[in-house]
Amino acid sequence: MAEPRASRAGARWLWPLLALPGTVWLAVLFVAPLYVVLAILFGTVDPILRQPVPVWNPLDWDLSQFRYVWQHIVGENPFFRPALLRTVVYVGVASLLCLLVAYPVAYYTARFAGRWKGVLLAALIAPFWISYMMRMLAWVNLLQADGLVNKALSVGWLPDVHRAWLNGQPTTVVLGLVYGYVPYMILPLFAGLDRTPTAVLEAARDLGANRWETFRRVTWPMSRAAVVVSLLVTTLPMLGDYFTNDLLSGSPATSMVGNLINNSVLTPGQTGQAGAFVVLILIVSIVPMVAYVRSTRAGSEVQS
Amino acid sequence: MAAEPERRPALSGPSRLARRSVLKGALAGLALPTLDSILAACGGDGGAKANVAAEKIPAPDNPIRWAVSKANPPIDSGLTPKRGSTLRIYNYADYVSPQVLKDFEKKYGVDIRLSTFNDADEALTKIASKNLKFDLYFPSYDSLGRLIQSELVRPLNHDYLPNASNLWPSLRDPWYDLGARYTVPYTIYSTGIGWRTDQVSTDIPGLDNPYDVLWDRQYAGDMAILDDWHTAIAMVLLRNGELNINSTDPKDIALVREQLLDLRTTMKPRVTISMYTELPAGQYGLCQMWSGDAINLPYYLPKKTSSDILRFWFPPDGKGEVDNDLVVCLAQGENPVAAHFFVNELLDPDVAGRNFGFTGYQPPLNQFTPDRLVADGYVPENLATAILEPRDFERGIPLLQLPASADAAYHQVWQEFKSGG
Repeated sequence: MAEPRASRAGARWLWPLLALPGTVWLAVLFVAPLYVVLAILFGTVDPILRQPVPVWNPLDWDLSQFRYVWQHIVGENPFFRPALLRTVVYVGVASLLCLLVAYPVAYYTARFAGRWKGVLLAALIAPFWISYMMRMLAWVNLLQADGLVNKALSVGWLPDVHRAWLNGQPTTVVLGLVYGYVPYMILPLFAGLDRTPTAVLEAARDLGANRWETFRRVTWPMSRAAVVVSLLVTTLPMLGDYFTNDLLSGSPATSMVGNLINNSVLTPGQTGQAGAFVVLILIVSIVPMVAYVRSTRAGSEVQS
Repeated sequence: MAAEPERRPALSGPSRLARRSVLKGALAGLALPTLDSILAACGGDGGAKANVAAEKIPAPDNPIRWAVSKANPPIDSGLTPKRGSTLRIYNYADYVSPQVLKDFEKKYGVDIRLSTFNDADEALTKIASKNLKFDLYFPSYDSLGRLIQSELVRPLNHDYLPNASNLWPSLRDPWYDLGARYTVPYTIYSTGIGWRTDQVSTDIPGLDNPYDVLWDRQYAGDMAILDDWHTAIAMVLLRNGELNINSTDPKDIALVREQLLDLRTTMKPRVTISMYTELPAGQYGLCQMWSGDAINLPYYLPKKTSSDILRFWFPPDGKGEVDNDLVVCLAQGENPVAAHFFVNELLDPDVAGRNFGFTGYQPPLNQFTPDRLVADGYVPENLATAILEPRDFERGIPLLQLPASADAAYHQVWQEFKSGG
């Protein structure tokens, strides 16, 4: 009799214990840094160097920096607003393009690659071996005025193209984002599609669905969770990206919220404002995640 | 040209100190303020008074001899760098020759770690964290007062710097640091306009106001300005004939805002400090430019392109932005002895020549006369306008540290500019 009780008690401690490393990790690398961000956002500024002075006690927090950012998003002189809207558009378009590129690739690799699956997967992971910065710098070389892209567009009888790809072109920034983040999308999509049970697909075909119907009514609905996860995995880092923009455009005309954060962090007296943008991004990105988690939970409850 | 006082968005920032003190300055009749009135305007505000009033701002007509720091005393004489120790240098990218670093490492058995920054604001932010252990930093004098008053720099021991005798006499006892207690001049440069004649047809020096070319719409999307708030401000003020490029007048701040936002909308400039590679690559044909970068342009041109196409304009009467960068020993560094040896090395004419050959930024040493620079092939004839002489410092206008309130107001303008409309 004593043994099952002991094992029950053990089980009661086992799961929290297993969750402990993750909890500590989350506390140290997410909650604590977030609190530092808040302490700086609601803190003060050193009068000589104009560096942020964090205020740790929430009772003493000063809202003026957050208010300043908020007023310049929704107030009379909303000069932060265009960059925020641009971010939504660029990230939205880039994510959709990523999906258009990644889905067929992941689908092919999962379903039709056969014995080449391993090789293809390795090839898909290969971009991770090269630093993001190096990949972007390579594009700078390719896209500059006398770079290979312009040369290729002007080859032979074609008219001379001197497109200034790198001077504040939204297209370049969006394509840069797509190029940079598409591998991050392919992997979770592949993982999702690879798990689709072939029995279900065969059942659909046996019941008379053609290839397209099978895809539309079985594969796509079953892969929807993977699509959402892969969109989250790519969209969230894109929201904070400033480097792609700095290298491929460098113009205020294409500034995104990541650039606003980077500029504020590096400007004496404005560091706290970066915290305001971080908090806003956090709120904006948490809402759809929570909605997603709730909707999937509701879905699974209905199923069971 | 100036905006109405009601339209004074440059001063609508979060800093109550900024708004009140600048407005107070305006009320006090700060049309062209003297330093005293600026300081008075800044100090007139309750809580921040003690700190801000203490802010000392050096200027040619207000030379300052800084007190020797008690918190960070100068090092003793007669020491030598420890072999195997690390010297941490914090500098702009491509602003010191890798060969010079290697030679120094070899000569003294010291390991040099070079870290780089993009602009002085970024550098100041990181240095202020005090824990990066940088030994040497290369500021301009517009942040020197803040660095010294925040006890971030260590006074120099001149026993280690015999090569300082090679410096131009006028820079051995400079207004920003009388007695050269904390600084050694590193390079000198002017700020003007650079362009390629194969992409820009306008005769820029022949224009009534050459700065107007930066607002000339035929070059929209094909030009760049320096990613430096202070230099951008000076460009607008000089364009409007305002020689006080350190103006704190709210009208000037509003004017700067108006014309910078206009530049952003109509010209779509790239905002960068990489002109020295991007202009030769043909990425654009016209830009605001530092003379040192102009001198470096031929080096980055594609092989088949002749350097004859490169030009640099600086006001021929000398009434433009002329500055020098400095070397300072940071208090957070752990190797001040090697730092002193390195500074002395930079003042050696041979080393300085090697460094100049790489960076394009002229050292203010007696051995580097304009004639010699052209004759020795350091600078092609068509870029001779980028060379500086001691008299350029008598006529030119330096960028000074601004009082905290105006500094904040201009930073807000720059923030609005860079956010992109």
